[in-house]
Amino acid sequence: MEKEAIIRFERVTKIYDGQVVLDDISFDIERGKFYTLLGPSGCGKTTILRLIAGFTEPTEGTIYFHGKPVNHIPANKRQVNTVFQDYALFPHLNVFENVAFGLRIKKKKQAEIREKVMEALRFVNLEGYENRSVQEMSGGQRQRVAIARAIVNEPEVLLLDEPLSALDLKLRTEMQYELRELQRRLGITFIFVTHDQEEALAMSDQIFVLNKGKIQQSGTPKEIYDEPVNRFVADFIGESNILRGVMLKDYLVEFAGKRFMCVDKGFRPNEPVDVVIRPEDLQITTRAQGKLQVRVDSQLFRGVHYELCCYDEDGNEWLVHSTKKAEVGEEIGLYFDPEAIHVMRISEEDGEKIDEN
Amino acid sequence: MKTSIRNVYLLPYVVWIGIFVVAPILLIVYYSFFDIEGKWTLSNYKMFFTPIYLKMAASSVWYALLVTFFSLLIAYPAAYALTKTKHKQLWLLFLILPTWVNLLLKVYAFLGIFGTYGLANAILAAVGIGPKQILFTDFSFVFVSVYIFIPFMLLPIFNALEELNPSLVDAARDLGASAWTTFRRVVFPLTLDGVKAGCQAVFIPSLSLFMITRLIAGNRVITLGTAIEEHFLVTQNWGMGSTIAVFLIIAMAAVVAVTGNRKRG
Amino acid sequence: MRSNHKWGKVYLAVVFVILYMPIVYLIYYSFNSGGTMHDFEGVTLDWYKEVLHDTRLWIIVLNTITIALLSSAISTILGVMGALAIYYVKSWRMKQILLMLNNVLIVSPDVIIGASFLILFTMIGIQLGFTSVLLSHIAFSVPIVVLMVLPKLQEMSSTLIDAARDLGANQWDVLTKVVLPYITPGIFAGFFMALTYSLDDFAVTFFVTGNGFSTLSVEIYSRARQGISLSINALSALLFLLTIALVIGYYFISQKSAVSGMGGRRR
Repeated sequence: MEKEAIIRFERVTKIYDGQVVLDDISFDIERGKFYTLLGPSGCGKTTILRLIAGFTEPTEGTIYFHGKPVNHIPANKRQVNTVFQDYALFPHLNVFENVAFGLRIKKKKQAEIREKVMEALRFVNLEGYENRSVQEMSGGQRQRVAIARAIVNEPEVLLLDEPLSALDLKLRTEMQYELRELQRRLGITFIFVTHDQEEALAMSDQIFVLNKGKIQQSGTPKEIYDEPVNRFVADFIGESNILRGVMLKDYLVEFAGKRFMCVDKGFRPNEPVDVVIRPEDLQITTRAQGKLQVRVDSQLFRGVHYELCCYDEDGNEWLVHSTKKAEVGEEIGLYFDPEAIHVMRISEEDGEKIDEN
Repeated sequence: MKTSIRNVYLLPYVVWIGIFVVAPILLIVYYSFFDIEGKWTLSNYKMFFTPIYLKMAASSVWYALLVTFFSLLIAYPAAYALTKTKHKQLWLLFLILPTWVNLLLKVYAFLGIFGTYGLANAILAAVGIGPKQILFTDFSFVFVSVYIFIPFMLLPIFNALEELNPSLVDAARDLGASAWTTFRRVVFPLTLDGVKAGCQAVFIPSLSLFMITRLIAGNRVITLGTAIEEHFLVTQNWGMGSTIAVFLIIAMAAVVAVTGNRKRG
Repeated sequence: MRSNHKWGKVYLAVVFVILYMPIVYLIYYSFNSGGTMHDFEGVTLDWYKEVLHDTRLWIIVLNTITIALLSSAISTILGVMGALAIYYVKSWRMKQILLMLNNVLIVSPDVIIGASFLILFTMIGIQLGFTSVLLSHIAFSVPIVVLMVLPKLQEMSSTLIDAARDLGANQWDVLTKVVLPYITPGIFAGFFMALTYSLDDFAVTFFVTGNGFSTLSVEIYSRARQGISLSINALSALLFLLTIALVIGYYFISQKSAVSGMGGRRR
């Protein structure tokens, strides 16, 4: 896994007005990958972006670009560009001049500016819009102008601060495809900030899940979804049934008053754990055949599946995604494979320690 | 680097504040302790608390209150009606256009209108009341002042009304409130900031307008402003003038405190 | 409801008539050959001729315009700096203090400003006349410009500055290429307001003008104190035309910059 890191955070802490926003964070960003910083608002994801862009300096720790510390290098001297949440297009300039802004600052020749701007606009499918006022553009178009304005400077890293949050659902899905495609074509590193887990899962090569200024987990979307390391990640990514249990020994876990076979091992005997079962891994069956017996409390039709909310005798809530319909009030059984059980160590708000090896 | 650039903006501005905001106030206070011969004294303050000056201050406040009250009475409905018109921005422009006509010219116009043979008396005669002495009365002072100040009262109220979310009015009506109740319980409280701003913009200057009193009211009305002007420019008793000014500043601070220093600044 | 609206319009019309009545009255009698502001005897342009041939008056007009243009230009520069200073000050407290001090001259009655400036200039030893009037006008215009510019700055999304820096702009580029263009409407508005305040000011000028120097307001006052003279009426008609021209001009400038630049004015 040890490739050359473009950006490295080494034990970075950021404190704003006495409040710890980032708490001793370390990670590497490699060339040409699509990264996502995922977390609820206030988790510190935007602060990481601002640190990389150079809008703010770390309180402690060091940020490296290509192995050189850049803590005190201002934003205008860094080889990264940002696509802002509100796009931050200059309202007094038209589309062309917005995109040309960075090149003009660098005092490039007029012909070169023209060529590059047109190319960037072509890249984001905005040919022919160069003389428009940015005020006349729709949200999706502004978004593209903002992207063109950033990539025209040929940054090594493109930072995207929740750029899709202002768009409606349909457009957002469309832009997810486009951004992913854009990243492949440009071959540069994207660092994407979002609080939307679906967006993160759909687009990223690598996700950092953040909470309370700490990285909870980093990994591929599949790793994060299938193997959440703690309750927070399991809860934040997708929908989950999470309950307390006890790991009796390797491959045997007890929860909801019963013992189940599982595939996890390596815990202390009788170690208390959190158990996760994804709703889509639960199948409806008869009471007799089910591993759990529950009563259907409510049911919603979600299009691709029914979403059932059930309770077992102990009062634990079970969320089930099933293509089969049930009746409200019906007593049913739930079946699941041993692989569907995911056992996690209990870690009270403790983030995962990321070791770099 | 950043801070040095910021200081470039800050420095001239702070110098301006120092010379033209802080120093003048301090000088006024300083001068209020000197008598006409330049001797240090408290007599100016003693003088202010004699019945002559107290009465003058009280009447000045009373007239200012009257002016503020009538301005509000006229301007609020006008602002309200204005928000209901089609081209309200254009109408607003027309309503505040007269403020750009030199104040003195408008005051001067009333010399003619209120004159013995002027328009006002012609109208009074026409309706059968007969000519009256209007000029050089307290009525003419209040009338002209209100006339001058209406736009200053109208503008903040209009802005407050414009900012009011119209669905709040709908909501109140929907919940069964009558038009009057809606106004009293919803519209007025929510535009109170505008009203306060307007009152502030009217009350303070009307304590101190001296040209209207000089031109229109003769010496029937003497405001704090007239007294200050008199002491500074006629009798050359800067000490006494400063003392009155100190009280005017205190009154001003009190009004600002009550009406709230316009937020959002 | 409908009749309410109708009464509203009637009321508005009455207010409107009252507001304009004195101005119309003045202008109407400026054509009166009778020489008084009652009993219209006949149409004459004599008063206008008198105004046009009044050299003293024209010198004063020239003074007034010079003072107005100079003071509003200088106070616009100072005011923009002040607005930027307030905008950039980090501490909330400091910001409030600066704003409060800024607003002192706006809420202060003219008499206080005039009197205190009179003391100030006497203390420093500045001769009363052109300089003292100019300085006073600059002084009371600065906070107005600040108040016109500051909302524009605050309305500007802070990411705009971040974006410019992100694209390689240094502090000077940020100021000249992003901030100043963005707040241009505010600067225009500030300049225009300063201009009208200066042209309109009577009380402050009256205090600090001394003997040799006069502005239009002060001149009108001293003439009006001597009673009615229809040349003042003629003058007011001319000034009214000038005012309207200024307002229309300003209206178009602000419309133009609103369309080309800011577009989305807040409602």
